Amino acid sequence: MAVDRRKVAVFGAAFVLRLLLICLFPSLPDLLTGRVEVSTPVNSFKRLQEGLYLYTRNASPYDGGVFHQAPLLLPLFSLLPDVKRNPVPTAIFYFLVDLVNAHALATISESGQSVQSRLHSAMRKNIRWDGTSVAAWFLFNPFTIATCLARSTSVFTTSGILFAVSNAVSGNSLNAMLALGFASYLSLYPALLFVPLALLCYDQRAQKSAQAPSTALSILQHGSILSASIAGLLGLSVLITGNFWEFMSATYGFHLLVPDLTPNVGLWWYFFIEMFDSFREFFLGVFWLHLASYVGGLTVRLRRQPLFIITSLLGVFAVFKPYPSISDASLYFALLPLYRHLFPLMRYTFFAISALLYSSLLGPAFYHLWIYAGSGNANFFYAITLVWSLGLSILLADSIFAALRDEWEQDHPERKGEEVKQV
Amino acid sequence: MALKCELRESCETQQQSPSPSTTLHLQVRTKSLTAILLPAAIRNLRNNPQLLFVRLPNILSFLCIVVGVVWLLLLPLNEYSRHTYISENALLPGQVHAYFTGSEQNIFRGYKKELQALIQEGRDNGPQNPEVESTPAISNKISSILQAAGLKVATQKYEYTSAGIGYQGENVYGIIHAPRGDATEAIVLVAAWKTAGDELNLNGVTLALTLARYFKHSKTGTQAWIDAYHDLHPASVQPLPLKSGALQGAMVIEYPFENHFHSLHIVYDGVNGQLPNLDLFNTAVAIAGGQMGIGANLQEMWKHDDTYKDRLKTILRGMTKQGLGYATGAHSSFMPYHIDAITLQPKGEGWEDEMALGRTIESLCRSLNNLLEHLHQSFFFYLLMQSNRFVSIGTYLPSAMLIAGNFTIMAIALWMRTGYYSDSKPSVPTGSDAPKSKSVKASDPATEKVITETKINGSTVAERVLALPLSLYFTATTYIFVVVDIVLPLILAALLSNGLGISRPIVPQQYLLIKSFALLLLGLSLSTLATLNFSLSFMIGLLCAPLTFITRIQGPAPVRYPISILGLALLNLVSPPTVLIGVCWYTGVPIETVLTQAAFGWDVWGMWTQVVVWCVWWPAWLIGCVLLGSSMF
Repeated sequence: MAVDRRKVAVFGAAFVLRLLLICLFPSLPDLLTGRVEVSTPVNSFKRLQEGLYLYTRNASPYDGGVFHQAPLLLPLFSLLPDVKRNPVPTAIFYFLVDLVNAHALATISESGQSVQSRLHSAMRKNIRWDGTSVAAWFLFNPFTIATCLARSTSVFTTSGILFAVSNAVSGNSLNAMLALGFASYLSLYPALLFVPLALLCYDQRAQKSAQAPSTALSILQHGSILSASIAGLLGLSVLITGNFWEFMSATYGFHLLVPDLTPNVGLWWYFFIEMFDSFREFFLGVFWLHLASYVGGLTVRLRRQPLFIITSLLGVFAVFKPYPSISDASLYFALLPLYRHLFPLMRYTFFAISALLYSSLLGPAFYHLWIYAGSGNANFFYAITLVWSLGLSILLADSIFAALRDEWEQDHPERKGEEVKQV
Repeated sequence: MALKCELRESCETQQQSPSPSTTLHLQVRTKSLTAILLPAAIRNLRNNPQLLFVRLPNILSFLCIVVGVVWLLLLPLNEYSRHTYISENALLPGQVHAYFTGSEQNIFRGYKKELQALIQEGRDNGPQNPEVESTPAISNKISSILQAAGLKVATQKYEYTSAGIGYQGENVYGIIHAPRGDATEAIVLVAAWKTAGDELNLNGVTLALTLARYFKHSKTGTQAWIDAYHDLHPASVQPLPLKSGALQGAMVIEYPFENHFHSLHIVYDGVNGQLPNLDLFNTAVAIAGGQMGIGANLQEMWKHDDTYKDRLKTILRGMTKQGLGYATGAHSSFMPYHIDAITLQPKGEGWEDEMALGRTIESLCRSLNNLLEHLHQSFFFYLLMQSNRFVSIGTYLPSAMLIAGNFTIMAIALWMRTGYYSDSKPSVPTGSDAPKSKSVKASDPATEKVITETKINGSTVAERVLALPLSLYFTATTYIFVVVDIVLPLILAALLSNGLGISRPIVPQQYLLIKSFALLLLGLSLSTLATLNFSLSFMIGLLCAPLTFITRIQGPAPVRYPISILGLALLNLVSPPTVLIGVCWYTGVPIETVLTQAAFGWDVWGMWTQVVVWCVWWPAWLIGCVLLGSSMF
């Protein structure tokens, strides 16, 4: 296999940059680990350490109500040396995970699925970045770097999702479903990606065979593989923890019922702090339903571009998830460069990016005023999380607009370049 | 379509108005006139991109700056400022009778005699450096006095080095346990041996001792003590053997002279422009003025006759201190730990004696003692213009935000302009996107420079181990930087114009993009800064204001060269080192002192004014200069 020198350079530079950061600023990882923007109750490395401590001493890791992550992470991390005494191996492990994710991303990009799928062919195919550039956008994104240095366990979910997609675009639907099963096992919400991913796998299979296979049968097949993989992982977890219901309620129950209202960049915490307890169950249902409803709508409307559905859903998750962090945004920003050909059609990129930049500077400042200086209050930070979500939503809506416009131009080639008005 | 309909309608209304009364007629006419004029103006604007994208943003940005400055100048007026008031009802300032009188004065005199004797002894024994010689003796004496008064006493040694100069000393402190308290909260009373002005604080220390006995309870010293109190001290500082509860408030006494005083000077600025809760200041003013009949001054305004000029002067002095962010007294060290603190300095010739100061402090302590929770009711962001007038953040923040906003407006306008001018092809942003990545590249040298800059600073930090007083080089380095700042933009501009030697020379549109991104980042940082340190953001915003309006000059060489050289010369007048030199020259403070203080601030107080200068102001300034310089190549 010929070694792509550019790719090696990008990957090497990303690795060296991360290494330099932890060598020059040894306190940086711990600082980032403590930031609410990076670490949420469901991906915090600190909480993982607590779970690990209990696990290695043969106590249930979920005792004490601090640890809420999947049990299979524990044996994995118990293999790594103690992070207090020797933090470098753990850090390097995370760097490698990042590189592996970037590789999966490059595979997705090189498949060309984003510009040319079974039912859709983009109008501006020639405007696109190659796999290495897309991987570079991911690897040098400050949000990705922050997530990686903070050792947030979201990176494993990210790998699961990226591998699922990369396997799906290369027609390997078994592995795709296994990877999605892994991601869903870790953080539950990726299960919502099942429908578009199954469609993607179906399209790939249909493209290869002369005769399109049965849709229902294919979905059923994929669904059963996914369920089997999740069931297998859950079985392994039971072997580790011994108590099925305890770990189910401590992990997935925690995701679903949102009992921890530590501030984060999302919209849920403030809302549920303010709410009267009697309405809590109702609004939990509403919020989850709202999040899940995007799957149906986007799948129906953008059926021709399953990969774009997945990208947009990841953007939706980054805004409306119960415990979002900047790692979710970084995953969305990782897939967005695949749609370089849509950028000319987008109208508010500058404003969206300005809003995101403003909120990423003002967020920590306001959090400081609230928590440390004592001169601000919770509303300061909450206002900034609104701006952050607004920025992401503008970007999301704008990219969906661009994708629809692209489809429309494909349907009406004679009207390409005409002004459109939104009504 | 919509516009046309509206037009027709308005015409109809005009025709239909055979007026029953003249007033109605007039009303209808004006209405229809605006209805006609406004769409017409909008259409004009649309058809005139030069006006829309070039002139209008300039005008808007200029307006923002002018309004921002005028806004600040309006603040001292009665309409925009407010009377101070005590927001936390629990404080009840001046509601208790102060018992610190009579017999305590004898004790004060006795303690003072003992300390004076010690100092005299120190002078006799070691004529070179009497303070250092007598330090152990003095701290022993103070501890024995405190111990005799029945307090738990401990000492703490500390040592700091900054810019090659060592600072060392010893803190003596005692803890009074309230007879009926649970020791979860505490109030701090500090008397530094030397005042912030480096005078011997004999009366202050004695008074603190007397008060300590009565209650049964230095610049680097305070920092060492408070860091250690929260276990965040560096290795050169000893940990504290005795601790009490969470600190509620702190008061520092500085009484360095012998005569009776006239008024109390209250110092309240903290490090990095953090301020204590306004309630603490108000309580001090209320007790001094209301209960004791002592006037209060602030910001060294000894004569304040409540005119517009004096109010503005007070605000501006406060803003300067806040903007520079240095510690103005021992109380400043408490601020980063969210402990509200002030320094009380008796000033002037009058008939108030140390007992009056003692009673003031007693009353203040008893007010703070009433608190059930941390001071939180009142403002943390304010500008004081007199001891009883202030403006709160909601009123003054817009002025800094407007100045920061002017950069953002220009950045957005430039972005739109690059898209507009590219050409008529539908793929407009493709043209502008390629430069986007390039402009990032182009601004890279600037960021790299900043890194090397900090590295230079870093190496100075490393060098101080050699115990070289680096302050000797500070002045020379400043002048070298002035020269570097003149040459560097020209070199970078020449490099850029030749495409950095690796690619094609960049096109004018890319210059616009560079400027757009530089201004966007500047506006971003300044508006964030405005929420943390209003004054610093305002000052840097004003100094950067020219950057909005400079651009790459085009035209024939004889016009271009003189203008760009003139522009560069003017820009160099507002470069960070030149401004430093100018301010030092104006105030008569040596550059060396300022930079030593800055280094000390960085090492000991955790002051980050310099970080803002080098990471926000200087890069933006450099890019502005490069843009202007590129018109010569």
